[in-house]
Amino acid sequence: MKAVLRRGLLLAPSTAIFLGVFLVPAGFFLVVSFWRVRAYRLRPDATFNNYSAVLTEYWQPLAFTLGIALVIAVVTTALAYAYAYFCRFRAGRFGMAFVFIAVITLFGGYLTKIYMWKTILGSSGILNSALAALGLTDQPVTLFLFNPLAVVITLVHYTLPLAILPAYGALRGVRDVDLEAARDIGAGPWRAFYDIVLPQTRLGLLSAFSLTFLFAAGDYVTPTLVGGPHTSMIGLFIQSQFGHRVNAPMGAAMSFTMVAGCLVTIALFALILRRMTRAVP
Amino acid sequence: MLDYPSAAVRAPLSAYEAERATLVEKAEPAPLVELAGIRKSYGSVEAVHPLDLTIRKGEFVAILGPSGCGKTTLLRMIGGFAQPSAGTIRIGGLDVTALPPERRPTNLVFQGYGLFPHMTVAQNIGYGLAIRKTPRAEKQRRVEEAMALVRLEGFGDRPIAKLSGGQAQRVALARALVMRPDVLLLDEPLGALDLKLRRAMQEELRRIHRETGGTFVFVTHDQAEAMDLATRICVMARGRVVQDGDPETIYSSPATMFVSTFIGEANLFAGQRCGGVVTLGAGPTIPDPGEDGPVVCVVRPERLWIDAGVEALSECAFRLAGVLESAVFLGPFVNYTVRLDGGESVTVSSREIGLRTRLNAGDRVAVGWSISDHRVLPHEAP
Ligand SMILES: Nc1ncnc2c1ncn2[C@@H]1O[C@H](COP(=O)(O)OP(=O)(O)O)[C@@H](O)[C@H]1O
Ligand SMILES: [Mg+2]
Repeated sequence: MKAVLRRGLLLAPSTAIFLGVFLVPAGFFLVVSFWRVRAYRLRPDATFNNYSAVLTEYWQPLAFTLGIALVIAVVTTALAYAYAYFCRFRAGRFGMAFVFIAVITLFGGYLTKIYMWKTILGSSGILNSALAALGLTDQPVTLFLFNPLAVVITLVHYTLPLAILPAYGALRGVRDVDLEAARDIGAGPWRAFYDIVLPQTRLGLLSAFSLTFLFAAGDYVTPTLVGGPHTSMIGLFIQSQFGHRVNAPMGAAMSFTMVAGCLVTIALFALILRRMTRAVP
Repeated sequence: MLDYPSAAVRAPLSAYEAERATLVEKAEPAPLVELAGIRKSYGSVEAVHPLDLTIRKGEFVAILGPSGCGKTTLLRMIGGFAQPSAGTIRIGGLDVTALPPERRPTNLVFQGYGLFPHMTVAQNIGYGLAIRKTPRAEKQRRVEEAMALVRLEGFGDRPIAKLSGGQAQRVALARALVMRPDVLLLDEPLGALDLKLRRAMQEELRRIHRETGGTFVFVTHDQAEAMDLATRICVMARGRVVQDGDPETIYSSPATMFVSTFIGEANLFAGQRCGGVVTLGAGPTIPDPGEDGPVVCVVRPERLWIDAGVEALSECAFRLAGVLESAVFLGPFVNYTVRLDGGESVTVSSREIGLRTRLNAGDRVAVGWSISDHRVLPHEAP
């Protein structure tokens, strides 16, 4: 009884924060998403109109956002896993140092990284200067910036450390002796990776994917700054619904549709991952 | 039980040839593992100095030595987990030096077992067969045989996390045995088990070796375990094999001072050899040809006699006087500790229970030994 009480007390602060800062506001907006706005005032209601409007009028940015976030998450997860694999199995005693170097770039901040890529990809940026100096171009190439690819590059770069951490954590749990034992009873290096390393690091992969996917799907600063006119991510629309369009119910409905889309994507990814990394030969 | 075919695929033999082959094999079985000039260094650390070693089919070899002497490195080179810095390894006549572990006819039971935590017991044991694409029915049969061999019937569906130390050890053993290796390598196989389990597993290992007729090579730092299990012991020290022979020979005729103290109890009497005569610091002189220099005279405790005075030990060629410090009754024998007049301490193991009633701590006593019961070995710096 005492132990239960103590555990309850230990959990109380985090539970309070989770409830107060996350669940209660989210619950409120879930309710609001079924309301209406009349003359710039919220009117309680129970209508699905907002949702049907989202699916008919905003399905394109919704699909685009899920798509680009999927690309970003898959690329980032793959790169992060490879990097973490290198740190765990190839870097010897410098493994931790390499992880630390990757993670420390997070301290550079989010906007810094965006402006860095703007500087690199822009028309008077490093890439164009280099191409001009090499005599390969006489006009600055405007193709690099203000398109979806710039968003992908920027967000992959930003989220990479976030994905490296769970991947490395999972790979750290794989013991060398397990791999040696697999080799010993006949598995080649690839086979050992596929049968021993992958199944044991599935959760790490899923965490890395989920973190980057959710981050990319919810971002609206990067598309604003480097995305250009054709990168219409849903975050921008949600922001404007809550902002100058003063339509919180619509914004809330967009948000929850997006949340549902994200959950479905992550669930699908988990399923495919499970299929691809069979635990048992 | 597991049938254990030889690795070499043989063409059918005529009756005469077959008989001759068995005769030859009985007389001198062909070497199965041949290490020639094997050496391994890690940077400036010479883990294994160049050594030659031949292991024959059916042997149960112990590689015995203190921690850090290079035992594991040697075993890992045979298994393919460490590339020798020099030398060649042949198994069944084939040069395997450059082959990765998965292509060698060896299997290693690792010190940490290396059981796959995401698989059950049966899946662990069957993994190697699955890689070889063994048909399902045969795979299942062999996995069950292997589980029976290590007495784990009915454990097939257990997850690895739910095994005790002894059970995990058995699974690791079964996973290696199911592959029917030409040579089974074991790295400190009983090191992680408590004393009682270790005794039981020693018995099991002996039985499994007998039943499979396989060739086992195991690494240990425990001399009692090596004596108990092995048909042959290679004693290693500082990256070299210092003695290689059957347990009896190694115990009764240690090749070096290190071997004499590492295997079994030994009393060492320091001395000096000059012109074929050894003069012990404690007094006696022993005629013993050899190189001049510092030596030790090694006498096993059970080879020493003890009695109340030097006169009582008239049959002993060498006698030393001292004071009895303690007499410890150990059941079948009594251990006496004697402080010699020269200051050295010696241990005597005696089966004469009656002596103890006559000898008391503090008494003046004498110890002695017969002429054939000592061994003079060059002195080694520790
Ligand atoms: N991978 C390695 N890298 C560097 N030194 C090693 C490595 N493996 C073993 N050694 C060194 O080689 C020597 C022998 O080690 P090892 O074979 O493990 O000894 P043992 O098994 O007899 O305890 C030790 O000095 C050890 O520090
Ligand atoms: Mg070792």
